[in-house]
Amino acid sequence: MEDFLSDDDYYDSGRDSLDGLENEDSGPQWVPSKGPTCKVITKESLLAAQREDLRRVMELLSLREHHARTLLIHHRWDVEKLFAVLVEKGKACLFKEAGVSIVEHRDLDAPPPPTVMCDICIEDVPSGETTKMECGHCFCNSCWTEHFIVKINDGQSKRIKCMAHKCNAICDESVVRNLVSKTNPDLAEKFDRFLLESYIEDNKRVKWCPSTPHCGNAIRIEDDQFCEVECSCGSQFCFSCSSEAHSPCSCLMWELWVKKCRDESETVNWITVHTKSCPKCHKPVEKNGGCNLVSCICGQAFCWLCGGATGRDHTWSSIAGHSCGRYKADREKKAERAKRDLYRYMHYHNRYKAHTDSFKLESKLKGTIQEKVSILEEKESKLRDFSWVNNGLNRLFRSRRVLSYSYPFAFYMFGDELFKDEMTNEEREIKQNLFEDQQQQLEANVEKLSKFLEAPFNQYDVDKVMETRMQVINLSGITDTLCQKMYECIENDLLGPLQLGIHNIAPYRSKGIERASELSVCWGDKVNNSGKPLPPHCGSTADPLLMLGGTTESDQPSGSGSSDETGYAPRKRAKTNVPGGGRFDLNLPADVVDRN
Amino acid sequence: MIDFARVQKELQECSKDVEGSGIRVAPKSDATLARLVGTIPGPIGTPYEGGTFQIDITLPDGYPFEPPKMQFSTKVWHPNISSQSGAICLDILKDQWSPALTLKTALLSVQALLSAPQPDDPQDAVVAQQYIKQHQTFVSTAQYWTETFAKASSRGIEEKVQKLVEMGFPEAQARSSLESVGGDENLALEKLCSG
Repeated sequence: MEDFLSDDDYYDSGRDSLDGLENEDSGPQWVPSKGPTCKVITKESLLAAQREDLRRVMELLSLREHHARTLLIHHRWDVEKLFAVLVEKGKACLFKEAGVSIVEHRDLDAPPPPTVMCDICIEDVPSGETTKMECGHCFCNSCWTEHFIVKINDGQSKRIKCMAHKCNAICDESVVRNLVSKTNPDLAEKFDRFLLESYIEDNKRVKWCPSTPHCGNAIRIEDDQFCEVECSCGSQFCFSCSSEAHSPCSCLMWELWVKKCRDESETVNWITVHTKSCPKCHKPVEKNGGCNLVSCICGQAFCWLCGGATGRDHTWSSIAGHSCGRYKADREKKAERAKRDLYRYMHYHNRYKAHTDSFKLESKLKGTIQEKVSILEEKESKLRDFSWVNNGLNRLFRSRRVLSYSYPFAFYMFGDELFKDEMTNEEREIKQNLFEDQQQQLEANVEKLSKFLEAPFNQYDVDKVMETRMQVINLSGITDTLCQKMYECIENDLLGPLQLGIHNIAPYRSKGIERASELSVCWGDKVNNSGKPLPPHCGSTADPLLMLGGTTESDQPSGSGSSDETGYAPRKRAKTNVPGGGRFDLNLPADVVDRN
Repeated sequence: MIDFARVQKELQECSKDVEGSGIRVAPKSDATLARLVGTIPGPIGTPYEGGTFQIDITLPDGYPFEPPKMQFSTKVWHPNISSQSGAICLDILKDQWSPALTLKTALLSVQALLSAPQPDDPQDAVVAQQYIKQHQTFVSTAQYWTETFAKASSRGIEEKVQKLVEMGFPEAQARSSLESVGGDENLALEKLCSG
């Protein structure tokens, strides 16, 4: 075991971060995050978001866009899987399975007969009022339209098949759009929306933001679906289960916890422990003092000791005609156990609640702290940089959060409900001690940090402000390290050895929950990263739909979208230019980027 | 709205080929074309041979863009048809429906289903179990049901025709109207009286 439990160690890492006085995040514990980050997909950028995938497929297979879309929808927007099928089964099979038909119809050139018999309405229709789909099947426009309307209303916009029996071909979306918009423009719009939203609905890398009222955004992640993200609307959530961010609890633990807190199971427990049901009306009766003869409001008298119905004549020690003194071991045991479970739950719930409440109270601190800082800024000329206050505050929020969710985690980790058979009692005890030590350390430091930040330091003299500053910076570093270590302990020592691999937690992020950045218009961030800068509005411009989405590059904040320090960082960072074209890593603290 | 023009044409088309296919479709009443009765002969060489099976057809508003609803009104012992309700488990009546199919082709598929049961995708689990495990018992039960339920109406039909003839209707007309309403005496009488 590492010796990270010693106090010295904490202070060491604390001092390390003191070296980089300006920024708590330049401590040694900072690990550069890998790969591109998550993106916000808005209504406007939805098309831009799928553009990259579409283009890859279009380029590799020299396809038109709607064919590429059909293929991608069929393969749930998993380009790698699509390519794997291509390699494994060949192009023809890939197309056939997805319902893509690229057949050249020679007879297109031949003059069409003046009228065509439509097999659906069984009428002769002028050729001009018919449409031949790519699969070669030709029907009249009004039948096609009717077919499309039924399918769109049926929620099948993404895969509208040809009307011919056993024809697997997917209808050309532009034909659908054109025909439907003639009679039902609203429905045609709906069709387009459904088609576009397939990218969100059918894609494991993309999820709707769960905010209510819904902000209309979706979030796209790159690799690990066990992560927590913040949408541009401000709502933070667990990408894996779409509920509120809850690490270091696993999704399953959190789900159970929420349910437990919500339903009355504990109330029921209380009732079992503290009441007995009336032998006549079966309502639970609580004894509020007095002797062992209890009367229910229904009028029935019964013995509190055995629960049996009795007469009303009694003394303090006995009830007339009634004697019970036999020990009912079973019942006692059950009550005992319910009581223990209840107390255990209450223990964890109280602490969880306490930290959640503190977190709420501290959120108010933000306002008062700003005031204190502005007072200090006015009167103090020697000390100009107050970023430590906000850094400390943010650290406090984050650690408080971790602490609060660590209680439901512990409740399930060391309880009987989930892992009863996974650990021996001995193992459990050792692990619980290990975890609780860390939790306590964290708790103590979080409280200290809270104390310093709540202090009226705007009234202090310079030396005392300097001292507070040192303390805050120091404690910020310590709590960050402690959080990191707690996550490591959970991942490696507690959840790691479990048989069932269903408990995964989002990794600890020193900088807080990742804020998804707006998708840039050039939607070719991958292309950009490979050092091939593209002008805005690049790519094929033939389809007007393609130009719908996206803001222009200049609308983007200068690459600081995912850094939650943005608002608090010293001004000079705001005008940082992105070094090396598209190489800017949104996860790097601005300082590191500067140095690069 | 139901494309009644097409339904009308389908009915005409179907009646032209009754001799060849043995499949009939007729409206339940004169009031609407949305409720129909289909009749299929039991396929030769199956336990259903010799029976005449009636199928209730209800056309949804979106017909032919939505599939017709079909249900056996004659009781039948078959793994893919409910022995209780007559519900049919057939893909073309669900997601595999295509507007290019017609009532006649759908009924032909139902007939084909009678010849080729698919016990792996059962509608009636009891029948399917029997089909797999005690095939001989299955065959005789299916035969018995055909005998009891699918032939009764055809046996009785002569009597009904006779009745109508006695009321003063020409025999051919009486027979065809009885057939078109699936052997229901009262409906046939109504039909004859109205036109």
